[in-house]
Amino acid sequence: MERLPRGRHGLSPEFVARNQRERLITGLTQALDEVGYQKTTVSLIGQRAAVSKSDFYKHFESKDACFFAAYEVAVERVRERVTGACAAVADGPWAMRVREGIVALVMLFAGDPALATITLVEGLRAGPSMYDRYQAAVDSFVPLLREGAPAAPDGARVPAARDEAVVGGIASLLGRRVLAGEAERLDELLPDVLEFALLPYLGASEARRIVSAE
Amino acid sequence: MKPTRPVLPKEFVAARKRRRIMDAIAELSAEQGYEATKIGDIVRRAGVARKTLYDNFEGKEEVFLAAIDSALEETLGQVEEACAAAGDEWSDRLEAGLAALLDNLAEHPAEARMCMIDALSATPASGARYDDALHRFVEMMRRNAPRDTGLPETIEDTLAGGIAWILSQQIRRGEVEQAPDLLPELLEFAISPYRGVGKSVK
Repeated sequence: MERLPRGRHGLSPEFVARNQRERLITGLTQALDEVGYQKTTVSLIGQRAAVSKSDFYKHFESKDACFFAAYEVAVERVRERVTGACAAVADGPWAMRVREGIVALVMLFAGDPALATITLVEGLRAGPSMYDRYQAAVDSFVPLLREGAPAAPDGARVPAARDEAVVGGIASLLGRRVLAGEAERLDELLPDVLEFALLPYLGASEARRIVSAE
Repeated sequence: MKPTRPVLPKEFVAARKRRRIMDAIAELSAEQGYEATKIGDIVRRAGVARKTLYDNFEGKEEVFLAAIDSALEETLGQVEEACAAAGDEWSDRLEAGLAALLDNLAEHPAEARMCMIDALSATPASGARYDDALHRFVEMMRRNAPRDTGLPETIEDTLAGGIAWILSQQIRRGEVEQAPDLLPELLEFAISPYRGVGKSVK
């Protein structure tokens, strides 16, 4: 990670502080990806961020506090990317919006394993205080899927928890692959994830048709 | 000569104590979390001597892992049995297995919370137990599902993951006793992808 020049550099204290905080967040994200939550220490975060331990405590009171901040930053990145991709085809049909959102989601994770690790794996494993945030993060993607979704094919009954189950199922599949060290290959799962997301709403043949048109 | 009180075989008493220790950690971690649960709490709840715990287990983590393993084996066993008893139609087996899972969770709220919530974050080894159990459910669903459907290879991974997610939310809301009410919608969720694609699907 790029450190700031030592000694006199004419940078404002606010700039230095903000830069340090951002580096610590990136440092924690890297450390998590390398050794997991339990083995990530303040020292290791400091090393990865090139920030001293005493400077760490100027920004965060604990590893958890840094984790929470890093998690929020990470989730916000994912949300922005996915929301943006959906918004770009806001006038298009529901299936197209879902497709664009899922492509953006999967490709973002595939290109940034550390981001995939913190959001999909460690968020669920960092303890009780983290669980609410993980749940809120997962839930925040549900409206993107639900909004404008067609009724089930053939007038079948729509299970109330369907949208949550679809989002939770995608998070589970991706998380397990990241845990298995396959984050870089998540893009191979793109057709599967897309078909799974469309299936309950469009039925098997229509979902297949849209996926094959990729 | 008859004994004045029934003498239970030593092995039976030892197994009962082991069981009580595992039940205690399940209850305590459900009530206050794994981290906050101390050895002293466990032996007090189980009504055993500290030495008994250490005769049986190396420490808190071993108790926790043994309790998770025991609960998971019981659950997986019941689900497998229910599936096998349900007959030839795959959707009947799925329904029976899912119903057995929901009943088992509802009957053992502390164990449900321990395995589906606390295990994930308590220690790396307990997290691995969760992953392994989820994987076994995925494999079970895959063995049971119709073949050559043309559906994604990962369909059972996402379906099992979605079901696990809904159930973990139910547990966190403290409503695990009502888990069996979820059967119709979870079943619909798990069956609908196969509708119209597998020849054996009805």
